[in-house]
Amino acid sequence: MYTVKFDTDAKLKVVADSMILTTDSETNAGSKMLKGYKSLLESEALLKLKAAGYGLCGKTPVGEFAIDLLGETSVDGAYTKDGALMLASADAVKTGDADIALVLDVNGSVRRGTAQSGLISVKPTYGTVSRYGTVPVACSGETVSLIGKTAEDCKNALSVISGHDDKDGTSLSDELCKSALSCGSVKRIAVLKSMTEGADSCVKAKIDAFVNALKENGIEACEIDDTVIVKSRAAWNILMSAELCNNVSRYDGVKYGYRTENFTNLDELYTNSRTEAFGQLLKTAILFGSDTLSTENYMKVYDKALRVRRVVLEAFNKIFGEFDAVLMPACSKMVYTEKDTENKFLSYTENLYTAPASITGLPAVVACGVQLVGKAFSEGALLDTVNAVCKEGK
Amino acid sequence: MRYETVIGLEVHCELATDSKIFCSCSAHSYGAEPNSHVCPACCGMPGMLPVVNKRVVDYGMKAGLMLNCHINRVTTFDKKSYYYPDLPAAYQTTQWFAPVAVNGLVEIETSKGKKNVRIKQIHMEEDAGKLVHDIREDTTHVDFNRTSVPLIEIVSQPDLSSAEEVEAYLERLKTLLRYARVAECEMAHGTMRCDVNLSVRPEGSDKLGVRTEMKNMNSIEAIKRAIEYETSRHIDAIENGTEVLVQETRRWDDIKGKSYAMRSKETAGDYRYFPDPNVMPVVIDDKWFDEISESLPEFPEVKRERYMSEYGLSEYDSEQLAKSIALCECFEDAYSVCGSAKDAANWMLSEVMSNLNARQMTYDMLTLNGKALGELITLVVDGKVGRANAKKILNAMFDDASVSPAEYAEKNGFVISNDTGLMDSVIKTMVAADPKAVADYKSGKEKAIMAIYGKCMKELKGNCDPQTLRTKLIEYINSL
Amino acid sequence: MDRETLRLLELLNQLKLTEDEKKETFSFFEDRKADSCGLEAIDTSEVERMVHVMPIMTVVREDKVSQPFSREDLQSGAPETDEGYWCVPRVVE
Repeated sequence: MYTVKFDTDAKLKVVADSMILTTDSETNAGSKMLKGYKSLLESEALLKLKAAGYGLCGKTPVGEFAIDLLGETSVDGAYTKDGALMLASADAVKTGDADIALVLDVNGSVRRGTAQSGLISVKPTYGTVSRYGTVPVACSGETVSLIGKTAEDCKNALSVISGHDDKDGTSLSDELCKSALSCGSVKRIAVLKSMTEGADSCVKAKIDAFVNALKENGIEACEIDDTVIVKSRAAWNILMSAELCNNVSRYDGVKYGYRTENFTNLDELYTNSRTEAFGQLLKTAILFGSDTLSTENYMKVYDKALRVRRVVLEAFNKIFGEFDAVLMPACSKMVYTEKDTENKFLSYTENLYTAPASITGLPAVVACGVQLVGKAFSEGALLDTVNAVCKEGK
Repeated sequence: MRYETVIGLEVHCELATDSKIFCSCSAHSYGAEPNSHVCPACCGMPGMLPVVNKRVVDYGMKAGLMLNCHINRVTTFDKKSYYYPDLPAAYQTTQWFAPVAVNGLVEIETSKGKKNVRIKQIHMEEDAGKLVHDIREDTTHVDFNRTSVPLIEIVSQPDLSSAEEVEAYLERLKTLLRYARVAECEMAHGTMRCDVNLSVRPEGSDKLGVRTEMKNMNSIEAIKRAIEYETSRHIDAIENGTEVLVQETRRWDDIKGKSYAMRSKETAGDYRYFPDPNVMPVVIDDKWFDEISESLPEFPEVKRERYMSEYGLSEYDSEQLAKSIALCECFEDAYSVCGSAKDAANWMLSEVMSNLNARQMTYDMLTLNGKALGELITLVVDGKVGRANAKKILNAMFDDASVSPAEYAEKNGFVISNDTGLMDSVIKTMVAADPKAVADYKSGKEKAIMAIYGKCMKELKGNCDPQTLRTKLIEYINSL
Repeated sequence: MDRETLRLLELLNQLKLTEDEKKETFSFFEDRKADSCGLEAIDTSEVERMVHVMPIMTVVREDKVSQPFSREDLQSGAPETDEGYWCVPRVVE
């Protein structure tokens, strides 16, 4: 079963993934560590949706702390259909169980899952949706996001959840949040050649089809070269892993969650609880993140990545001087099978496509299997563009 | 060979805010039920995000300015990671890269004279929880009430060289921080704690010796003993090779009077600091900076000098008042109303002090309304209330800061009447009732009259001018 | 990355890897290192670090107390509590 379902009379149904904390159901963040965990607080974004008439119709599993490829590391098991890995949240929307999925985009699984399902997702500009009530992993870049069948569904739900929240110190003013929802259409789009090169022919075909659709709609699309944005991945992997390492260190078998039965002292309690509850990808990511912050590495690895983040944002902004958005794939292939997950660390390379928007906080819309990354506060325009251009999902 | 001790201190002071530094739980953890001041953030649960308490920054700045520091106009918060049961999220949010205040100077005075101690930095951070080891033998109990209570850590340069200097420095910090009303600094309450870094070197040498650290010392007397002990242990090791000194953290056992090396993990000290992505940089603009600067009190020395030169108080009285900002403020308010600095000082140092003592209150706990004290002094000076009744009124004012002395005197019949007829009749009655005392007085025992005087005063409920009563009583007896 | 560094990282992060996991972790570190080579090529000597992607500053709240959570609720999912405390094996000091 991919989702815990609840009854709801609401006309609009929302599923929340297991990074979104809820008070009346389990939020396990995909980890054995939090199996059965019930939160005392509820996600601000979900509360806003509920207040606007949406009914929570289910909780969908995620990969352990949402850093994997498509949820395959979830304590609830990988979710597959006909041999293909699926993102549970996306499938809940695709099958019509839910109108919208409320998810936390940490390392791009949301965008990969959306691209595969042919749905539409929006990762709004960082700071426009409160992260209060989400399981923290990579706080400097993760964003509460939405998956829907249409751009309109996404925009409607986004207009509900976006806005200032005093409880989130990184939350932007209402005025800025609102500006991200304004209507509009992009006129010129840059196609990032360096990003498309490594993708398979199916993905390239999606890009080509999208470019044609853009042109049919009078939107210019130009191929451009770039040598910086492709390096987002390496920098993001450093920042994400370091923050992850710090954020999941709280899970130690003392306050709540999984506790080992096998201990005689505090050190064993900590180590065995964590070792027994965490999966390989998470463990390795923790150690890698920890290493980037060591006294020896901090300046040359972590601090470097922080500076590269600015370089990447500047590279984007330079492109935005001429173009309204950047077109790139969301993943290297349109179908992942369980065989792909034999490489446990695939998400650390497949996030080549998702890292640029994650590390910069720029808005990203996935539609028709491809990804548009726009200027800050342009997600409204991106969604409108997709609405006009995309034949799928209409 | 002669040796000198080189000491640097890291002093933690809990800031006297109402709520914690990053969440809205009460910051008053001392003596509270275990885990009664906690929220999901305080117990390391996921989902809440830190939002900085503005008053913590206010107080951090104030502390910095009191210690003559440079204030960093952009100050940031960082995460420090380590595992310990008193640290629920396994990280402490502190200031590593840009602390609120740096490069300060504190002047201390000891038997050897005055000396400057340089302050390296003051940073703001969250406190850890409390571990209780004496409930069950095999278990440590964890209380998160103190988790995230705001602290400042004041890091000195290694400028101190004796237990006496350390004591003077700590006392000076206490006075200054209490003056600015930013911290209680009560070691017995754990609101001031101290790590002592100590090394020993041949006198005159500019090379530092091996440094040891003693953590979480919580009384000045213990710190002094620990310094004496560590100093001689170091000298012993250097001179006699009794042991090899290593840089380490040691625990001071005040009962045994010895320090012990603490077992430390192989990975100790690897804190993996990095900037907290959830806390935005705090920018202190001119308006904020000026607001805080202007709110700072005079330094104790300035007050003392001013009380002497401007108000004509004695050095002793000035010194006594300047010990606490609460005394100073009460005194200055009282003076502003009653117009006599000497009367105000006398009342402060006699009646107010004895009330504090009787209530086992420290000077800083004084909440007496100084203006009302000034009104009370005026009532006494104007002969409207007798001194004994004035003390009763003061007592009521201690119990309830809203008490108005004039109204209280009126309500309780403490107002001295000008009705001499009443006084005359009371004198007559009391003298008639005690012929023996009258006889004694007439035979030369002047003190005998005091018994009758006392009875009259009691009958009049104290509402008369003592001098008038005395004169009238003597006149009456003499006329018999 | 060598075995000793990995051992210390495990210790520091309260984790214990199996031999297989160690092997995979070594190769993971190798891959990341190769990926990071690209970063070294970017000159960042004149670039300021970017911790926060949005340039907002000074987010503070008023010093006000509110405590809507009860100890009972906070400890409802706790592996072990006693007299209102969380419990851990005795920490020897």
